[in-house]
Amino acid sequence: MILRNARLRAAAIESPVVDSPRVDESAKRNRGSLQLRHVDAGSCNGCELEIASIFSPVYDAERFGIRLEASPRHCDGLLVTGPVTRNMVDPLRKTHQAVPEPGVVVALGDCARDCGVFRGAYGVEGAVSDVLPVDLEIPGCPPDPAAIVRALRGLAGT
Amino acid sequence: MTGLLVASALLGVAASVAGAVASSRARTSLTVGLTLVACLGAFAVAAHVLATGEVVRFHTDRLLPLAGFTLRLDRFGALFVAVSAAVGICALIYRLGYKGHGLASRTGSSTLPLFVTTLLLVPAAADVTTFLFLWESMALTSLLLVLADHRYRPEVQTAGQWYAVMTQAGAAAILVGLVLLATRSGSQSFAVIGAAAPHLSPWVRSTAFVLIVLGFASKAGAVPLHVWLPRAHAEASGPVSALMSAAMVNLGIYGILRVGDGMLHGGPAWWWLGVMAVGALSALFGALHSATSNDLKRLLAYSTTDNMGLVLLGVGASGLFATTGHRSLALLALVAALLHVVFHAVFKGCLFLAASSIQQATGTRDLDALGGLLGRMPITGTIFLIGGLGMAALPILCGFVSEWLLLQSMLHGLPTGNPAIAVAMPIGVGVLALTGGLAAFTFVKAAGIGLLGQPRTEPAAVAREVKPSMSVGGGILATVCILFGVAPFLVIPAVTKAARSLTRTDAPDPLAHGWQLDLSGVHNVLAPGILAMSLTLAVLAVALVRRRLQPGPVRVIEAWGCGRELQTAAMEYTATSFGEPLTRVFEDVLTPSHDVDVSHVAESRYYVEAATFHTSLDDAFERRFYDPANHVLRQWGAVARKVPNGSVHRYLAFGMAALVIVLVVVA
Repeated sequence: MILRNARLRAAAIESPVVDSPRVDESAKRNRGSLQLRHVDAGSCNGCELEIASIFSPVYDAERFGIRLEASPRHCDGLLVTGPVTRNMVDPLRKTHQAVPEPGVVVALGDCARDCGVFRGAYGVEGAVSDVLPVDLEIPGCPPDPAAIVRALRGLAGT
Repeated sequence: MTGLLVASALLGVAASVAGAVASSRARTSLTVGLTLVACLGAFAVAAHVLATGEVVRFHTDRLLPLAGFTLRLDRFGALFVAVSAAVGICALIYRLGYKGHGLASRTGSSTLPLFVTTLLLVPAAADVTTFLFLWESMALTSLLLVLADHRYRPEVQTAGQWYAVMTQAGAAAILVGLVLLATRSGSQSFAVIGAAAPHLSPWVRSTAFVLIVLGFASKAGAVPLHVWLPRAHAEASGPVSALMSAAMVNLGIYGILRVGDGMLHGGPAWWWLGVMAVGALSALFGALHSATSNDLKRLLAYSTTDNMGLVLLGVGASGLFATTGHRSLALLALVAALLHVVFHAVFKGCLFLAASSIQQATGTRDLDALGGLLGRMPITGTIFLIGGLGMAALPILCGFVSEWLLLQSMLHGLPTGNPAIAVAMPIGVGVLALTGGLAAFTFVKAAGIGLLGQPRTEPAAVAREVKPSMSVGGGILATVCILFGVAPFLVIPAVTKAARSLTRTDAPDPLAHGWQLDLSGVHNVLAPGILAMSLTLAVLAVALVRRRLQPGPVRVIEAWGCGRELQTAAMEYTATSFGEPLTRVFEDVLTPSHDVDVSHVAESRYYVEAATFHTSLDDAFERRFYDPANHVLRQWGAVARKVPNGSVHRYLAFGMAALVIVLVVVA
């Protein structure tokens, strides 16, 4: 039963949408070390649960050199979840400014890509791509941890 | 040269008269112009005396009845005249642009030239009457100048009262001491007293010395007679505060040295141990209060107490070495102390002028209301930074050289074997080290909170650079501050000669001059010029390497504040919070008082409507000694007021009683 479920889920993993040549550059540059600052721009926290689980012993993203950092000053890019709410527009821009160039932007989850179920809500400014240039999108509501790991491995070059 | 000195003095008096009669438009430029010429003349005389050793004498019977007015300017006095004149020149140039309310009045403009003139003449006084006349004129004119702004700020009046009482008490002590010496030696001329002093009884000598040191130490702002200084120096208007803190306090040191070394030719070891103790106490207490004070000018005033304490430490060490026969060390300590007098005048003048510019531009002296001024007032800010680095005694600025020499003179006293020296010198070295650290802390606080960061209030945000003449006044002193720090050999020979002319010692010159300072007799070398050059090169090299390693153009963005939108001045470090750890460490000395006042919303006491926090630091000496004394005096005054109740009969009875007592005593 468990095995079947796992197989089913594995089949359902959508592949990440890459819309920037900077992903390849990032892979070359990072060579197995990807430090990200996570910004919750208005998420329902479903994506956060999945992000938390990619650092669990099952997926263990750190073995690919992927880590979450506290300060954007030390980062290679941003990991943004949720639709961008109005109150988070400026903080998101400021956080992006604080990342050393060239900082990649990863939009994680359907809400980050196109506002998902929150589209048109009164407090939502738009998708992440309306505020920042997005380099990598990870679809899913929420995305599967394996999909997140696979997408980030593409950035980390591992 | 006598003619030039007298002409300078007369010009100063003429400037004062001009200030009293000229129209309000011409007043400032006329008085300042004439006084500037007087200062230049006096500086020329002083420089000539320092260079050639010629003694300038002047005597007239017309000015003061019975005694006459006698001036005699030797090298030692000339050093102080030169310092006063130099500070005077810069302060007067600054005055041209300064918007002085009270200073521009008729009283203010006629008093300032007189004050500057007395500053120039006090070190040239050659007998007791002349000296006291000039000393009192200096005290009264400076008191009037402190009070100049009394209509605009009420706290000026309290400052004036404190200053008046302390300066008159000090003058009374000096008067009694000098009169005691004059009556015992049969003449009021300093030279005759000097010649007769060795034959006086030790009791007379010691009493006179203690009285005179008390009087002069109060003028120099030494603890515990310093209470007037942070008030008067802080409340005085810009140029006056610079003149008082950079030139007038020096004359306290002048008096102690002139009497102690010049007239009494030194004395027992306890005299000088006492001077050292007062110096050490002043240095520590001043540095501590300066580090914890939030008022910019009060902070500088306490720093004056600190620096005068260091000078007294050097003076005491010099006297102590002289009593134990270590003549070359005595000369070294004296040179270090005098050098510190000169350098302190330079950097403190610089700081007071810059602080007054800041006060004029923002309307406040409270550090917690300033901020971000270096960008808005770059010239004033730079002048303040240079002066502040001098105050913190950092290398390549002048404060470093004198404090280093002071330290060396005390360190090299350690192996002398005399028990008094063996106890006193390590304490002195410790005091010097601690005050150096506290001065650096003070500088970081004043410059970091006041000049850097974001403006904390509206006036600080719209502050603009002050008039050019004000920048020139402070700029000259700032340039001199760097110049003397890099090339102290420009001034050391003159100071050594001045010290020699006072003590007439035959010890070899303690310092070999040139780019490198060699202490003769002891092995130690300091080369400030080479130090400055290597520091500059190192900084340039680091900057160059950084630029090379920089991959692309620099992107300037806001400081990272977790993305929050309101990054306001309320989130900045304040002067109070910066000084708080220090206040906590020295809680027993500073005894801070905190007052938290929380008001609740009417509906529920679980919701806070407003919270105010008030903290203050008292002067321990003021609270422990002066407040009780004030209380007793006030009660006494209340009792005394009851005696003369306006009744003519009672006054006639007093007169009768007095007559009877006199008759009884005479019969």
